[in-house]
Amino acid sequence: MTTALDTDVRPEDRFISAFEVNHGQALNGTNASIAQQREDAIERFSQLGIPTNDLELWKYTNISKVIDRPYTLPLGPREASVEESDIAPLLVDDMDAHRVVLVNGRVDESLSDIGELPSGVVVSSLAQAGKDHPNLVEEHYGKYADFEDEALTALNTAFVQDGAFVYVPSGTIVEKPIFFLHVTASDEDLFLQPRHLFVVEDGAIARIVEKQYSLTDANTFTNTVGEVFVGEKGNLDHYLIQDEGPSASQVHTRAAQQKEDSVYSTKTVTFSGEVVRNNATIEADGSFCESNLFGLCIGQNEMHVDNHTRMDHVQPDCNSNELYKHVLNDASTAVFNGKVFVSRGSQRIDAYQQNDTIVLTKDAQIYTKPELEIYADDVVCSHGATTGQMDEDAIFYLRSRGLSERRARILMLQAFCEEVLEELAVDPLRDEVTDQIRTRFGGYFD
Amino acid sequence: MSTSETEYLKGKANEDYEHGFYTDIEAETAPEGLTEDVVRYISHRKDEPQWLLDWRLKAFRHVRERIDGGETIDWAHLDYEAPKFDEISYFSAPKDKAQYESLDEVPDEILETFERLGIPLEEQKALTGVAVDAVMDSVSVATTFKEKLKEKGVIFKSFGEAARDHPEIVREYMGTVVPYTDNLYAALNSAVFSDGSFVYVPEGVTCPMELSTYFRINEAGTGQFERTLIVAEPGSYVSYLEGCTAPMRKENQLHAAVVELIAHEDAEIKYSTIQNWYPGDPDTGEGGVYNLVTKRGICKGDNSKISWTQLETGSAVTQKYPSVILAGDNSVGEFYSVAFTKGHQQADTGTKMQHIGKNTKSTIISKGISADVADNSYRGQVKVSKNADNARNFSQCDSMLLGPDCGAHTYPYIESNNPSAQIEHEATTSKVGEDQMFYCHQRGLGEEEALKLIVNGFCQEVLQELPMEFAVEAKELLDIELEGSVG
Repeated sequence: MTTALDTDVRPEDRFISAFEVNHGQALNGTNASIAQQREDAIERFSQLGIPTNDLELWKYTNISKVIDRPYTLPLGPREASVEESDIAPLLVDDMDAHRVVLVNGRVDESLSDIGELPSGVVVSSLAQAGKDHPNLVEEHYGKYADFEDEALTALNTAFVQDGAFVYVPSGTIVEKPIFFLHVTASDEDLFLQPRHLFVVEDGAIARIVEKQYSLTDANTFTNTVGEVFVGEKGNLDHYLIQDEGPSASQVHTRAAQQKEDSVYSTKTVTFSGEVVRNNATIEADGSFCESNLFGLCIGQNEMHVDNHTRMDHVQPDCNSNELYKHVLNDASTAVFNGKVFVSRGSQRIDAYQQNDTIVLTKDAQIYTKPELEIYADDVVCSHGATTGQMDEDAIFYLRSRGLSERRARILMLQAFCEEVLEELAVDPLRDEVTDQIRTRFGGYFD
Repeated sequence: MSTSETEYLKGKANEDYEHGFYTDIEAETAPEGLTEDVVRYISHRKDEPQWLLDWRLKAFRHVRERIDGGETIDWAHLDYEAPKFDEISYFSAPKDKAQYESLDEVPDEILETFERLGIPLEEQKALTGVAVDAVMDSVSVATTFKEKLKEKGVIFKSFGEAARDHPEIVREYMGTVVPYTDNLYAALNSAVFSDGSFVYVPEGVTCPMELSTYFRINEAGTGQFERTLIVAEPGSYVSYLEGCTAPMRKENQLHAAVVELIAHEDAEIKYSTIQNWYPGDPDTGEGGVYNLVTKRGICKGDNSKISWTQLETGSAVTQKYPSVILAGDNSVGEFYSVAFTKGHQQADTGTKMQHIGKNTKSTIISKGISADVADNSYRGQVKVSKNADNARNFSQCDSMLLGPDCGAHTYPYIESNNPSAQIEHEATTSKVGEDQMFYCHQRGLGEEEALKLIVNGFCQEVLQELPMEFAVEAKELLDIELEGSVG
């Protein structure tokens, strides 16, 4: 079933009427509390409306211009003809992983190759998990991504259908990365709202790699919400590679909660997209947590990338690291808005935040706003931001060593990205991303 | 901490506001409320030319519309009740409003007031070489060193006088940097401004002395709305000092000033502020001044420079962002700030540097110190426009927390539209290092002495930018503030 969104009315109303038309149908709303949450969410969405630039959190990103298009809202499984050969080039060479392919936000079993998982580990679609492990889903679903102030999270929650699901039970180590390949494939302009849930229980260790591609030139908008839970002494290394092309826009919300002594790392690399907004929030709800937020954006053409992070320290004795880097070419725009929040009583927090940007052209723009909001005194928090060009002295040095100016500049850009790349702990993935960046830079300074 | 020290600190903390007294001078006060009649009354009382009244009325209509439209300023990290604009009396002036020829004619009460504030006019005249244009509840009561300034062609007058004597200059520049439409409080000020200072430095003149004005809020229930305009012609230099204290008051006092600086080619303006108004009851936060100020300078000509330095220790609520528009090529903007908040004080302060010309530079050094349950925020913007080639900015915003219940926040906005811009921002938040304290103890310093030393060191970068006389006063002020708040 699909609903073509009526473009004659206010964009908010299109979604609200679509919700009403399909009320109670199609979705995995078997569970009463999830069903109720959907009702609350659409109510909240209608109150909040689609964010405008007047909102501080959306000051530099105009999302309504890409939402206000005649999208089709799929409200049920759709047939899409994606062949093995279509996805082959999108896989990571030499990465031995538990592979799940999602087409338009739904797991496609025929393209997936999950392989053998350690005992008790579940990798499936969220809808399937809702049937097989209702208690697990109910325990964690909707608990970490708060839609009170986020209209798009509310919208996703209202239309929740399917997405990815991972469960790693206590003390289990998943050796191979769990790899989700998200592809969009349709001739129509699609508005997709996948919903993911990743649960890593006490003492469990896992790596999750997500990559996003589009196989269509049609305009698409993907409003993703992913919820993450890392239990005591757990460790989750979580990747996101975004390369959907110039006709795809997205809002990607990743909300994580960590318990005592755990480690959670979110690492995002953005290569393309029309308007890309990433919301990453981590709540360190336990002492001795380590939280890492890393990001790299290679801006080109007209793309607009907005990385919005919030590090919530609500318990003492934690540390967090945040590093986002941008290399902006052509007429690309990057926005970084990071917030480190230390609540009252959360003493002995070490929090670092850094955002560095190299702007290569006159038409590229950077808006950065690294914020600290601190209510405890025994803390060490710092942030830094730089924007500028490459160091001309360093270029000169390299040229004196016999490198051409072009080579010298490319080398400097690569070195600039290295600090984030070295955080990519899955070797084949790092190699692939590094190669892609190298190829991209190869076309610069001609 | 030892018991005796704790007791000492407690005692200090309970001390009354040192400058909290009230001068008994009969004052004339305009009726409460913001109406066209009040604006006309103010203008009439001040014997203003028609063009100025027209300007006020234009601003009045604008601000009335905004207030009636329910506009509030709620984006800052501040929590206070919005001023009730219709319950404020917008004008009060000392009744003895003569143009004094010499200091002898000034009523003793006023002179005493200044003495208690530590600024004996006579002494300053003789010893420091600072000309003081004393503003007592909005009307200029004494201006010294007029002769010397006259010789150089420097005009240093109250705003009202300047509007009468030099309308051509005032008209040309007034409202060009902070238009009356700029923000709610600037609009309000434009309609009802009481008085303020006007400085004009002619081409090539280095002002022979530092110019200083002491503002003082005095009458119960009156806001004070100064307006300062400084124009520096090509190649000139002027340093202007502004310092404030206020008497103890129960109701909130609104202070919404506007300061405009204009620096032409090769000119330099240095503007320094010490603000120590009544911060409200330390236990409840009741009373206290609302300091909501619009300060902005424009580096109009090439190679010009504007420098803001401020030490903010008073007021219940402080919201001000002294800014520089770097329009001229090679122009320089600077902002040095120490904001100290304790008790229930709240400060949301910072700066805006707008790079428009080529090869422009700006420096921002901001130090925030927070104690008790106070909240201290830095909010700053660095904007590089498309044609501002080779713009350079360095920002450093450090916060120090003196207690588990206070807050320190940093909100820097960096917007760059030019590839050749180099922008650096760094900020840290931490408490006083235990190893630093230990080192001081080991050198024989007590808790409080050590803390003073460390905090003074923390602020050194900013304090050294203040002119000599001010720097000494600033250091002392900071020490006094620390005594009452550290535990």
